[in-house]
Amino acid sequence: MFSVSTVPPTSTQTFVDDFPSSTSHRKHQSESDAMAMDVDMDDEFGAGPSKRAIVTPGEVITSSKEYMRGHGTYVEETSVVSSVTGTIERVNKLISVKPVRSKYVPEVGDLVIGRIVEVGPQRWRVDANGRQDAVLMLSSVNLPGGVQRRKIESDALKMREFLAEGDLLVAEVQAFFGDGAMSLHTRSLKYGKLRNGQLLVVPPQLIRRLKSHFHHIPPPCGPTGVDIILGLNGYVWVSAGTTQEKREGGDGFDAEGVYSDKNDDITPEGRQAVSLISNIIKLVASEGIPLTETLIGEAYNWVQQQGHGVEAHGPLDTRDGERMLAEVAGVDISA
Amino acid sequence: MVREVDPPSIQKEFLLQALAEGKRLDGRITLEQREVNFVFGEELGCVECRLGKTAVLAQVSASIVKPRDDRPYEGFLLINSEIGPMASSVYESGRSSDDEILITRLLEKSIRRTEAIDREALCILAGEKVWQLRLTLHFLSDSGNLLDCASLAAMAALKHFRKPEVEVIGDEVIIHSPDERAPVPLAIHHTPLCLTFAYYENLPPILDPTHLESTLCSGTLTLTLNAQREICVLSKAGGTPLAASEIMGVVNVGVDRVREMVKHLEEALERDREGRVVEVR
Amino acid sequence: MSSSRLEILNDGGLRHDARRPYELRSTSFALSTQSNAEGSSTVTQGLTTIAVSVYGPREPRSRANASHDRAVISVEVGVVPWAQGGGGGMKRTRGDKRLQEIGAAIRQTFEPVIMTHLYPRSEIAIHVQVLSADGGILPTSINATTLALISAGISLTDYVTSISIGLHLTQPLLDLSQPEESDLPSLVVASLPSSGKITLAQMETRLHVDRFQEMMDLGVEACKVLKDEMEGVVKEKTRKIVERMDVRGVAVEEQ
Repeated sequence: MFSVSTVPPTSTQTFVDDFPSSTSHRKHQSESDAMAMDVDMDDEFGAGPSKRAIVTPGEVITSSKEYMRGHGTYVEETSVVSSVTGTIERVNKLISVKPVRSKYVPEVGDLVIGRIVEVGPQRWRVDANGRQDAVLMLSSVNLPGGVQRRKIESDALKMREFLAEGDLLVAEVQAFFGDGAMSLHTRSLKYGKLRNGQLLVVPPQLIRRLKSHFHHIPPPCGPTGVDIILGLNGYVWVSAGTTQEKREGGDGFDAEGVYSDKNDDITPEGRQAVSLISNIIKLVASEGIPLTETLIGEAYNWVQQQGHGVEAHGPLDTRDGERMLAEVAGVDISA
Repeated sequence: MVREVDPPSIQKEFLLQALAEGKRLDGRITLEQREVNFVFGEELGCVECRLGKTAVLAQVSASIVKPRDDRPYEGFLLINSEIGPMASSVYESGRSSDDEILITRLLEKSIRRTEAIDREALCILAGEKVWQLRLTLHFLSDSGNLLDCASLAAMAALKHFRKPEVEVIGDEVIIHSPDERAPVPLAIHHTPLCLTFAYYENLPPILDPTHLESTLCSGTLTLTLNAQREICVLSKAGGTPLAASEIMGVVNVGVDRVREMVKHLEEALERDREGRVVEVR
Repeated sequence: MSSSRLEILNDGGLRHDARRPYELRSTSFALSTQSNAEGSSTVTQGLTTIAVSVYGPREPRSRANASHDRAVISVEVGVVPWAQGGGGGMKRTRGDKRLQEIGAAIRQTFEPVIMTHLYPRSEIAIHVQVLSADGGILPTSINATTLALISAGISLTDYVTSISIGLHLTQPLLDLSQPEESDLPSLVVASLPSSGKITLAQMETRLHVDRFQEMMDLGVEACKVLKDEMEGVVKEKTRKIVERMDVRGVAVEEQ
């Protein structure tokens, strides 16, 4: 009916440069994509990670009535339509779209790092990077000294002494309230208030659910090593290392000091090690590469091996960062 | 702004069910407007317009000011339209909500930007003296669709108003008081009037929603049209998406409706004119 | 209204910036331009540049605004002082009615498109910043907001794309620049490209009813073209992210 034309993009963004600018061509391509999708449904669909099809909102995934809609989709008439941008996932007849970027979606058992935003009656409100603030009930924390007993009124009055506004803590998702807010608990010696380190915020998709999210990089990375906690909500805690026993309530565990506000004495070398690891994590995360213990460890080793060429403890400069990613992760970001 | 309490969901269901049968709670059919009444005040340029139970009082006054340097031949039209708590308890004086801004902006657009008033005719002495008209709208009661009512009141007041006659002799300006010489009406190009339609999911649109209907609707569309089949303002800010043909449908309905409304307005003005002594012997 | 010297359409059928009547201005779409927002985008159409950041869904800043069964959307529009050029000829502050109107229009446009029922008791905050203005602030803002919402991973039923259409004598023109916008009757249309339905239509100048339909149809068509353009950028960007997510992913699965 009309012929609407656009000027080819003159943008400097690299990701648009290599894209065909003819609209008619593109339209055709997306249509044929959709058609291929319908065919794909029947045979090997969504098999390998590299083959995963990408859809954007409003795109019809399948018009067959056989499928059920999962997260990230909705039904219009008989078609299953995507509502987010991401990859199609299929489990038997259930089709869902996994968004590439989204807010953290909690599950029971997840390890998260949070920040106290409010001390309320019998509970703390915790910002855990979710849709709503999380709740930590007084009954879900350990008392100092590790005594096991019912919480009494005097404990409620001392809540701010345990955790005050702004304090960081590591906790586990215990359950959900009716409105979808998560309820946390810290009833393990591994959980509780955080100190001796710094917080990093990364996209939550970069952290995978693993057996353990507590990692320790041993010396010579700083005099006592460096501890890393990868919270599934995208909060990462990097702190000066402690020994296994101290962390899990063995010898030398300071049961009274779990709610201490004071940092331990950290040597300058220890601080350098913490910031080096933080810089590695920031660099890897900024390129959208998933964080794993092995990757961080290898990146650290790489920096050590560079010897004189690379400042072993300071921030990585751009060139070194590029080389590190190319050699450790096999990602070329220089282009 | 104080948030209004949502109407009970049972009321919503009832209303939607009735609409699905083509009925409205006040007995109108879908594209029927509430009864329009004009009450003309003692003075010229003071009109109260009632649309059902919604009432807006419009008042026009004129003063002489110096024009802007870059437009020496143009007079001014100022529109004051703050919605106070008198109309409804949800409005606060001094603070304006989104709805309120929408009403004010649409009025401004439909009366000022469409050049309903010939502003060059307000010039007395180029670069020196021009008329400044001030249109003040008082929102007396909000029972839905304030905008349509306000636009009717505003146009009625502007048409009703007469400015004193002036005489220019050289550089001197003589303003004749209404007792000496009959005041003259304003030069009005056309009569833009607003029509508001409300939409519900999968139901035909309704004209002139009441307060309840507009709180429960999923989107509104406001048209400003004149009797010359021109669209002056069209505003559909979000809400339920509509096909182009549906929009054209209400535009076509609106065109006929506005012609009737203008006629009704002219008749009311005529009746008032007959009972009023303006001429001076 | 003042610059009547401008020739809207010359004898060769070209507009003042050498475009044909149905030609859009050069566009560039960039996603995730701001690192600390959940989603962001920068859209340039001609000389108009608009950056949008989306925060949330998050805990509502004021609990009085929260709704128990859906997310509330708040929109704030700002204009940088130098956006208009000429040393800030038009001064606009936060409380400006025109900006509030644009904000309300954006909010109402996206309310039915965002699947708010998926995010109860939370808030989605959209911040629109006009970086340079040369006509078409509202349509460009809507396009940028769509991209920012997509990059935030918020569920939408469809893209929303928007364009302005002007009318010179009997010739409709697409995607108006500032001088054209002030001289011509113009219509802004925002539509859902897959269904072709119109979610926003705004017009502020007198126009005969008979011309209106043609302009609206043209606008809907142009919105589809814009959507294809945007979808290409989104897919390309997503493909890169997905690739990166698979870096060493195989190694992890083997452990």
